Amino acid sequence: MHSSIVRIQNVFGFFTTVAFVVAALIAASDLIAPRTPSANVAVKDVQVVRGRPHYYSSKKEEYAVIKFSLSADLSSLFTWNTKQIFVYVSASWPNSTSTELTNEAVIWDTIITNPSADHLQNIGPVAMKKLIRSAKGKSVDPSRGKIELKNQKAKYQITAPTGKVAETDNVVLKVHYNVQPWVGILTWTPQIEFGGWKKVKGGVSKVFKLPALKVKKEEKKA
Amino acid sequence: MLSALQNPRQAAAQILNFGLILSTAFMMWKGLSVIADSPSPIVVVLSGSMEPAFQRGDLLFLWNRNWFEETKVGEIVVYNVKGKDIPIVHRVVRKFGVGDEAKLLTKGDNNVADDTELYARGQDYLERKDIIGSVVAYIPFVGYVTILLSEHPWLKTVMLGIMGLVVVLQRE
Repeated sequence: MHSSIVRIQNVFGFFTTVAFVVAALIAASDLIAPRTPSANVAVKDVQVVRGRPHYYSSKKEEYAVIKFSLSADLSSLFTWNTKQIFVYVSASWPNSTSTELTNEAVIWDTIITNPSADHLQNIGPVAMKKLIRSAKGKSVDPSRGKIELKNQKAKYQITAPTGKVAETDNVVLKVHYNVQPWVGILTWTPQIEFGGWKKVKGGVSKVFKLPALKVKKEEKKA
Repeated sequence: MLSALQNPRQAAAQILNFGLILSTAFMMWKGLSVIADSPSPIVVVLSGSMEPAFQRGDLLFLWNRNWFEETKVGEIVVYNVKGKDIPIVHRVVRKFGVGDEAKLLTKGDNNVADDTELYARGQDYLERKDIIGSVVAYIPFVGYVTILLSEHPWLKTVMLGIMGLVVVLQRE
């Protein structure tokens, strides 16, 4: 009962039990921290153009190019257990048969890392050094999590499986986020409020309509 | 070990004990599979396509039942490409339609392009049945052991050798 093998086994077993309990406590601490995010998104410009899904494809599809402005305050989502916040703006519109928003496509996204996860970001070595140096010593900079974009061009041009998006009605832009913890449950924009976690204040744009296909001036002349 | 051979009853009890431990572990795995409705409810991240969220070696817990709402845009899902056996962990970026026939498009956070290139020939979108679960919880680093074992198979023989040695030495 006192051989070294048994001692090692006992220590290892104790280590795993403690690690498990600590991880569970850290994950549970996420539930206590209150969240009060707010966002304001508005469409600035929208065009529908013809294009190909990629260079070699022979399909011609219609793509919606959306420019928007976004001002959001997600700083309350950052806790000691946050690894990163994935913020994304999506355009959603209903099918012609119902009013439910049955089509949704992400037009823009960004990743905001917690300073504890800055070293994992996919940026070059110089920018990385700058980022780590600027975050040194601070718990979480209160300006991290605040987004101010004016006239931002969408990252992704969206289309529908049918290939036609011109003149689609009742389109809205919505702001969502996904909190990735260091340990524990991943959470998304809540649909219901519970405890200290509030829904995103604002976060939905006014309804707009996708315009008709943009015709090139040369074609018009011909 | 020699003493065990002299006592067949003890040897049989040991083998039975070992078998019980193995089958309990297997049953727990399969039970979790049934509860989560996924063929593989716990996966290890193999690639860096979702950095900085997931690094290689992280453990992900999957849930495949849509109790409150359907799989929606922004969720991180695990799917197998038709015909291939490699699970891919990416985020849903587009969804058209509702229910089981809804068309889903995925993309890794760290990839520039979406997953259209990864899908099978002629397949432009995923359907709900292609997805084997969405990520609900996450533990860092724990799964790195399985990556080490699969990439360096000699480690497996070394580990088995050490375990065998420990069993033999314990008897004496």
